[in-house]
Amino acid sequence: MKRKIISLGWGVRKEGRNIWTRNAVKGISVRKERRKKDGKNEWRIWDPTKSKIAASLLRTKFDPAKIIPQPGNDCLYLGSSTGGTVSHIHDCVCGSGNHHKGQIIAVDISSRMMRELVKLSEIRPGIVPVLADARDIAQISPFIYKKVDWIHQDLSISDQAKTFVKIAESFLKNNGIGLLSLKGASERAADGSLEIKFEKAEEILMNSNLNVIEKIDLKGLEEQHVLFYCKMKCID
Amino acid sequence: MRISYDWRLSRLINDEGMVIDEIYWTSDVTVPNLVRRLLLLQKGRMSPEARILYERFDDVEVCPEGHLDDINWPPYDEDQQKMFDEAAIKMTKLKIAESSGDLDKRLDMLVSSANEIRSTWTTSESRCIEWVGLFLTEINLDTNRKEIINSIVKSESISSAANLMETTQPLFSPSEVEWKSLKKHCELAVDLTQRMRQHEDAIRILTLDYMPTLSSLIGPLNASKLLVLAGSRERLARMPSGSLQVLGAHAAMAAHRKGASPPKHGSILFSLPQVGKSPRWVRGKVARFIAGKASIATRIDHFGGIPWGDKEISKINSDIEKIISKFPKPPIRK
Repeated sequence: MKRKIISLGWGVRKEGRNIWTRNAVKGISVRKERRKKDGKNEWRIWDPTKSKIAASLLRTKFDPAKIIPQPGNDCLYLGSSTGGTVSHIHDCVCGSGNHHKGQIIAVDISSRMMRELVKLSEIRPGIVPVLADARDIAQISPFIYKKVDWIHQDLSISDQAKTFVKIAESFLKNNGIGLLSLKGASERAADGSLEIKFEKAEEILMNSNLNVIEKIDLKGLEEQHVLFYCKMKCID
Repeated sequence: MRISYDWRLSRLINDEGMVIDEIYWTSDVTVPNLVRRLLLLQKGRMSPEARILYERFDDVEVCPEGHLDDINWPPYDEDQQKMFDEAAIKMTKLKIAESSGDLDKRLDMLVSSANEIRSTWTTSESRCIEWVGLFLTEINLDTNRKEIINSIVKSESISSAANLMETTQPLFSPSEVEWKSLKKHCELAVDLTQRMRQHEDAIRILTLDYMPTLSSLIGPLNASKLLVLAGSRERLARMPSGSLQVLGAHAAMAAHRKGASPPKHGSILFSLPQVGKSPRWVRGKVARFIAGKASIATRIDHFGGIPWGDKEISKINSDIEKIISKFPKPPIRK
């Protein structure tokens, strides 16, 4: 029986429990993921156990299409690592040969991870690799000339929510989408249990210029993680 | 009035949002120059155009991120976008290449690989001893460990090894292939010993140069281990001495968070004879004292102070002796 295909936006679709993105570089997998042909197009499976965004698409109670960026958007990805998730975001924001004219500023502090990301950015135009400390605005701002439409932060540091608010208030457009993947284990142990850490982070987000739309629990796909789906308030 | 700038241009904008003056980067606009420019901007420096405007006008505020809030800031044209994409990749490659000059990372590689060699050596050496002991049943496996392995490497058969070690001949000898495997395994243990020594020599040379004061206080090998546990020399220098004292005591710290009593010292400080060989009731006091001194020593090394000489080190050692002699008996349990 053929599975029902639900489109989650340009280049992203859900088939049963699997999410697929339209491969911008045909014939090449980024982290050995499965690919399949559908007519002229090739699709890559987006593993929710390796990507918090893919996990949140499966777990959200709202429309998952609203979480992912639109083709041609400017995106900021903090904590890009080797670029597994970045490549899927690139599939929908830039497409093959960056025909959507989108841009993903991918920031990571590790030169080892950046080595792999540079290779990826050479075959995927639109990805801008930045070796920098994502907590420091001055290190990122030279690469951004206007506020971005979409931010995802996935950093293993303490004070993740505070960092996210600082970054979003500097770089996110009005009504722009901000996703914070909060890793409970990275926060200070003295802060208390996981629930308390998540509550504290939510409180920090609520007291900022961000509207928290949903707190998505990723249990079962990513342990000790929640993803905060936020929107920037309109500020004149 | 404020100055906003990015790598292409700089603008002076008044409080009403009107552009008073602007300068574009026009001369020598090349990818290598853009890489240099981006590196400068990333360090928080102004672009040359912004500097000109800053010098031209008084009482202006410099906003490095000001362009982000300016809705009239010009977008990249096609050439600029192409140049920027190329420069970003080139700059990142350059920074990756530069990271090999980072002594913290180099020491991390050396210390981590030395730890791995030591762990492999421990396993292989124990296996060799047990293997030989299976055949040479009369030999003492605790006191002659080094000699056993060296004798196997030098011998052509198990009986000649028995002769060399002056022990009784084995009742059963290993087959030819079995003997070859045993000998190769012993050769590996000897080779690992040499490699470990080589690694530790390299660590000593690098650390003595990179952290001379801390090395003279706790030894270069321990100093390098502390650095690796902390992540970098800077992090070690900025660390409170209480945290330095428990570096390497991850499990004890995790237990402490769940209610157990706090650890007195980490594994590195415990390996110092002043701590490890002291009576148990003064180990915490000595560890705290050494951690405080180690913290100061790291800061001297990192922030360019005058390295300690023998005089300072012997003063610290005599202070440790004083602490130990002050508490000759264990405290009475309440």
